[in-house]
Amino acid sequence: MKKILIAEDDNSISGELKELLDNSGYDAVILENFQDAKNEIISQMPDLILLDINIPYTNGENLLKELRKESDIPVIMVTSRNNEADEVLSMSYGADDYITKPYNPTILLLRIGAILRRTEQTGDTLRYHELLVCPQKGLILREGAGSEPETEVVLTKNEMIIFVYLLNNRRIVTRDELMTDLWNNKEYINDNALTVNISRLRTKLKEIGYENAIATRKGQGYILV
Amino acid sequence: MKFRKYLMDKGFSLVLWIIMYLILLLLMFAFKTEGSMVVAVTVIMSGCGISILLINFFRKKRFYDEVINNLEQLDKKYLILETVNMPEFYEGELMYQFLYEINKSMLERIGEYEFSINDFKDYVEMWIHEIKIPLSSLSLMARNHRDTFDKRVNQQIKRLDDHVEQVLYYVRSENAEKDYLINENSLNDIVSNVVMRNKDDLLEKNIELTVSGVDKLILTDSKWLEFILNQIINNSVKYINGTVQACIRIQARAEGTEKTVLTVYDNGIGIPEDDLKRVFEKSFTGKNGRTGVKSTGMGLYIAKKLCDKLGHGLMIESREQEYTKVSLVFMRNPYFDVLK
Repeated sequence: MKKILIAEDDNSISGELKELLDNSGYDAVILENFQDAKNEIISQMPDLILLDINIPYTNGENLLKELRKESDIPVIMVTSRNNEADEVLSMSYGADDYITKPYNPTILLLRIGAILRRTEQTGDTLRYHELLVCPQKGLILREGAGSEPETEVVLTKNEMIIFVYLLNNRRIVTRDELMTDLWNNKEYINDNALTVNISRLRTKLKEIGYENAIATRKGQGYILV
Repeated sequence: MKFRKYLMDKGFSLVLWIIMYLILLLLMFAFKTEGSMVVAVTVIMSGCGISILLINFFRKKRFYDEVINNLEQLDKKYLILETVNMPEFYEGELMYQFLYEINKSMLERIGEYEFSINDFKDYVEMWIHEIKIPLSSLSLMARNHRDTFDKRVNQQIKRLDDHVEQVLYYVRSENAEKDYLINENSLNDIVSNVVMRNKDDLLEKNIELTVSGVDKLILTDSKWLEFILNQIINNSVKYINGTVQACIRIQARAEGTEKTVLTVYDNGIGIPEDDLKRVFEKSFTGKNGRTGVKSTGMGLYIAKKLCDKLGHGLMIESREQEYTKVSLVFMRNPYFDVLK
């Protein structure tokens, strides 16, 4: 499980953030000791840090600068200062991303996921049972077992986004999350189109031997089983 | 400075001089002075009189003409003292001293106001950062407790955030300081951020959204532009036409090598022709603001001011009950290429 450190001095935010991250399959820890923040962070060895700019004793930018001398743990700067100069400064100090408050929680999770995947460098393919998913090529491959020939199905960009999201989040996923991910990928589709895309994706998965792979949880969303 | 007016101003002295001369003439006649003596006295008296008049006139003329001339040319007239030299006659010196004192006290007064406005601006900025903490907290809570927090809560949080941002940018637009940073930014990302911000409204109102041609780089401050674009899209969402399938089309195109135009088109209720030329005025709400959804008349005003500061063009076209089309024009300044 990926460990995410929350450096945020507002207790209500850090508490809610921890709950959000814990529920999304991360191990979230809250930084308690701001006085010696840098060493505390390094001893915790997190996989990613959510760093607020306004923290006690120092500020986020200085802490980031200090931290970058010793480690290159991915850092997402989180701030209520909605200002281009601050963003440019943070990025120049080595932040991996910059998010302004109040953030959309789904987007925050998407950004975290994207950065963790980038640093992990898992390669371009994902696995689902016996299927090989290549998001870049828009293909799902089923390796031929024995004499069986290899089969492949081509997914559209939207179908691929939905499938990859379900694959990366093996829990109940709401329609709103899927929609957010699609819009985040600049596919501004509406509610009907989402339904159509999901049913097409289901048909294609059926073709390749995974009928009912996407189950509907009434009133909650979908889950990849 | 005109000589005639100056003479009229010195009328009393002239009259006195003439009376004195007449008395002298009478005296000289009474003492039976010789004719040549009378002529000599006349010449000396008038010679001295005219010289005094002329010398005084030209000394003053030099100073006052400079003042008048510089005042005409100056854009900030209170700086006049910086442009003229201290005059060489006593009254002028006094005048110069007065002006200096008056100026100084006025500048002090303005300084006080400036200070208090800046103080207020700092306070507003700080307050806005503070208010965003509970707002973030709320949106996280809404997400963590989706079963008890309805989607409507998120919409209200977004409304709160929009209003808060408007105050922030109003303060920024009213102040002369330069707190923006022009950078090369991806138009695609900016549009995407704004669209994402309005995602729930767009989906709920079932508005068809198309975005095309936005994969361009433009010179702007991304945060400011996001605010401007958000105002425009907010309006499109707010003033949809209930009778047709609502759509918003965001489109960018390059015009030549130096110009990029971003248009936001909607088939909403449009703006009446009479209102159209006033939409960028402060607090102007117009017919739509009075009849339909409540409006503050601030959104486009602030957007326009920010555009002016950033050097972007902002134009609006519309036909009532048909469409509204807002265009943003970005220029590519060759100066920036040199910097890079």
